[in-house]
Amino acid sequence: MELIVCIKRVPQTAEAEVKIDDSGKDIVKDRLTFDMNEADSYALEEAILLKEKFGGAITAVSLGTAEAEDTLRIALAKGADNAIRIKAEEFGELDGYKTAMIIKEAIKDLKFDAIFTGCMATDDSYYQVGPVLAETLGVPHATLVSKIELTDKKVHVNRELEGGLIEHLEMSLPAVFAVQTGINEPRYASLIAIRRAAAKEIKVLGKDDIASEPKLNSTLEELFVPPVGKRAEFLTGTADEVSARTAEIIKEKGLI
Amino acid sequence: MADILALVEHRQGTIRDITYELLTYGRKLTEKTGGKLTGVVLGHNTDRYTETLKKHAHRLVVVDHEVFKDFNAETYQVALVDIIKKENPFLTLIGNTAFGIDLCPALATKLDIPFTTDCIGVEIADTRVKLTRQLYDGKMDAHVRLSDSSSYMLTLRSGTCAAEEGSLAAEIQKIDAPVTNQPDYKKFIEYIEAAVGDVDITKADVLVGVGRGIKEQANLAMIEEFAKAMGGVVACSRPIVDANWLPKDRQVGSSGKTVKPKLYIAVGISGAFQHIAGMKSADTIIAINKDPNAPIFNEADYGIVDDLFKVVPALKNKIMEMKQ
Amino acid sequence: MNFDLTSDQKMLQDQVRKFADTELAPVAPEIDQSAEFPWENIKKMAKLGLLGVVVPEKYGGSEFDFVSLAIAIEEISRVCASTGVIVAVNNSLTTYPILQFGNEDQKNKFLPPLCSGEKIGAFGLTEPNAGSDVVAMEATARPEGDHYVLNGTKRFITNGGEAGIFVVFAYTNKELKHKGISAFVVERDTPGFTLGKHEDLMGIRATANCELIFEDTKIPKENLLGNEGDGFKICMNTLDVSRIDIGAQAVGIAQAALNEAIKYSKERKAFGQPICNFQMIQSMFAEMATEIQAARLLVYYAGYCKDKGMPRFSRESAMCKYYASSIAVDVARKSLQIHGGYGYTKDYTVERLYRDAKILELYEGTSEVQKIVIARDLTK
Repeated sequence: MELIVCIKRVPQTAEAEVKIDDSGKDIVKDRLTFDMNEADSYALEEAILLKEKFGGAITAVSLGTAEAEDTLRIALAKGADNAIRIKAEEFGELDGYKTAMIIKEAIKDLKFDAIFTGCMATDDSYYQVGPVLAETLGVPHATLVSKIELTDKKVHVNRELEGGLIEHLEMSLPAVFAVQTGINEPRYASLIAIRRAAAKEIKVLGKDDIASEPKLNSTLEELFVPPVGKRAEFLTGTADEVSARTAEIIKEKGLI
Repeated sequence: MADILALVEHRQGTIRDITYELLTYGRKLTEKTGGKLTGVVLGHNTDRYTETLKKHAHRLVVVDHEVFKDFNAETYQVALVDIIKKENPFLTLIGNTAFGIDLCPALATKLDIPFTTDCIGVEIADTRVKLTRQLYDGKMDAHVRLSDSSSYMLTLRSGTCAAEEGSLAAEIQKIDAPVTNQPDYKKFIEYIEAAVGDVDITKADVLVGVGRGIKEQANLAMIEEFAKAMGGVVACSRPIVDANWLPKDRQVGSSGKTVKPKLYIAVGISGAFQHIAGMKSADTIIAINKDPNAPIFNEADYGIVDDLFKVVPALKNKIMEMKQ
Repeated sequence: MNFDLTSDQKMLQDQVRKFADTELAPVAPEIDQSAEFPWENIKKMAKLGLLGVVVPEKYGGSEFDFVSLAIAIEEISRVCASTGVIVAVNNSLTTYPILQFGNEDQKNKFLPPLCSGEKIGAFGLTEPNAGSDVVAMEATARPEGDHYVLNGTKRFITNGGEAGIFVVFAYTNKELKHKGISAFVVERDTPGFTLGKHEDLMGIRATANCELIFEDTKIPKENLLGNEGDGFKICMNTLDVSRIDIGAQAVGIAQAALNEAIKYSKERKAFGQPICNFQMIQSMFAEMATEIQAARLLVYYAGYCKDKGMPRFSRESAMCKYYASSIAVDVARKSLQIHGGYGYTKDYTVERLYRDAKILELYEGTSEVQKIVIARDLTK
């Protein structure tokens, strides 16, 4: 099987303090750590599991700056066979649509049975790359994928809906799968695999390698700190004091 | 005269709440633009839907065919391409749901119109559309402008606007299904209900919700004890389920359960909107989190900014004392 | 001059860090309390190739360099000092001397199980009456037919209670003093080899520290490492390498202690503000961070000397071990001081770090021995 995985290197903001930079359009990134987008690491693992079962090769693709090559190399160490970086620095502002269209240009000559993406990236939260890629390549897609089972000719796919409900689809390949977190357990790369990956070449493509620069669907005008809604009444003091006050509130309201 | 189109979302024979939010939001936009709001219903035996939807839109465009009984982005796309080309709305609204996420990006790409996803606010000024979106784990908001066009599309996050009763009387226009079979390459088969575990968090009066902040699986024991002292059960946010620390049926949020307990204590949960969506209706919410800027404090009634590993044991002791 | 890690070192650091945070950190407090040997995590580390980091692939190893080994040991020790030293002993005190001084048969026989986690390694040098003074050892190995007869007791042996393969030192000719010491590979199931006292340690409690007792234990002649009388050389050469890893372990523990102190000082308020705002605390942070970075560079440099193939790097390795272990003890002490009374309770990680750090100044050559090594090299 020929498999493609789209990977994004993103700042890790879940546990970090986030501030707006001087441009007003970006966040201050120099003290943040960067890593493979969480859902993408599950997408990569899903591709590796398929390769282990059915054979074939995986190409990892990332639209990113030079540092994204570190992330691609981790993908190589975990089980990808080839890697392509598309120079994000040459494309100016990006949105989900433009990202997908650029990736399409970069992979359009590759044969593929399936393309995997994360269902969303934690930085811009678009949910777009997978389905746009599918549409522009003329293949079906499924988003929020929580299970993939390949039989003879068909793929049985579960999508995660609201309320814990699962949607079961039957699809055929080639197709694009935008994978939800939790679908598998992403592995760690072994040291031997890391050593081999370090020696592999990462193909780098620039604007000149793309037929024409895709358009942008949306332009970011400004970032701002989310307005504060109804705020909680804050209880202050030592852990003991706030606990006593909380217990009183619980008692007064007859909550237990 | 900017007309708005809103897509009706239904599942297992029931209109989903997001539909009324979209229609309410769309109605309010048309009040400003002077255009008309059209609801699009793709379904089977749609009379049961149109009856209740009538008062929410100026028009309803209905395609009634068995193929639309359940959602399939492929068949929906075929029908919607036709409808949108014909109606040529200024803006098409779709819910940012499992359904909308699967549909909108590909549909807008096919139609070659500007779109974006997961919006929490829409402003229309002349022919331009300015949107509000959340970035970086909900820690930043952004204003985003869609590229100039005569037609736009977006998905709206649930909870962006509260559904209101409408007082319109929609004219209903039925059109023929442009597609009557699901394609071989993508077929809806069935819905699968999540397995039911030993605990039903939707039935509990007291829930202790835990998130990333508990750091390690081993710390769940402390939370379990605390919940037991409270006479409640432990629920959690998505990362806890992803890490296999608790089963899926304990997850609160848009991809898990929606709960409405008398008391919800959020422990080490930052408050991603997906989680908020599942617990905001609790009668009383108490949040314990180290980060004073955590979004959870915008939902909570009471907030404690401190180390949960200090507060939870202390609170457990106070509750035990109180019970005696 | 280049301070950048190589591409594979960066990846190794990234993956070991994630593995340590996700798999090792959660059980670290538990195994500190129970003193249970972390077999499950050892098997997981074996799968990643962390048990034979510098061993060539043909013997089941990962074939990395010594700087990489130090990076891995630092990351592991940052979350669990016990696991850090278990891995260090397997790598630099067991696989390394076999790799460096063993013959092809010995390498083929003993390295694969040590790399795969099937067996863990240990190093039998210290005795009840011979610590820093190696030559005072009493263990003897008397040749007899096709084997040696080993008698003696080894004390404070890390991994001792759980190991399957031991590198053990004993006199084959006492009259020759240090030139009469030989090194042997001893397997756990050898008749006449029993375990003595299991030590109840202050820190690194999950390391199966145990006494080894040899009573007329027959060691096959093919298990002699090198030649008779090579033992002292093997021992010193091995310690030069292993001290790099103890330096790395010290850097990991110190880094953890600093991280804990910073975290605590931002949360803890006194006199109306977080204590991290106070200059006396800030002064400690500046010292701690600078010392840790200096120690890390000494560790990397010692590893670099070994990787470069320098015939002698005893001074560099002793420097990194001496400095890193002494600052680790000091950084842990400062971190506990910043935590105040809370740091003295088991509710806070720093309590464990403080206990774990102390061993660094004692094992694989005390700080005093390191100073002797450095000074002798200077005055030679």
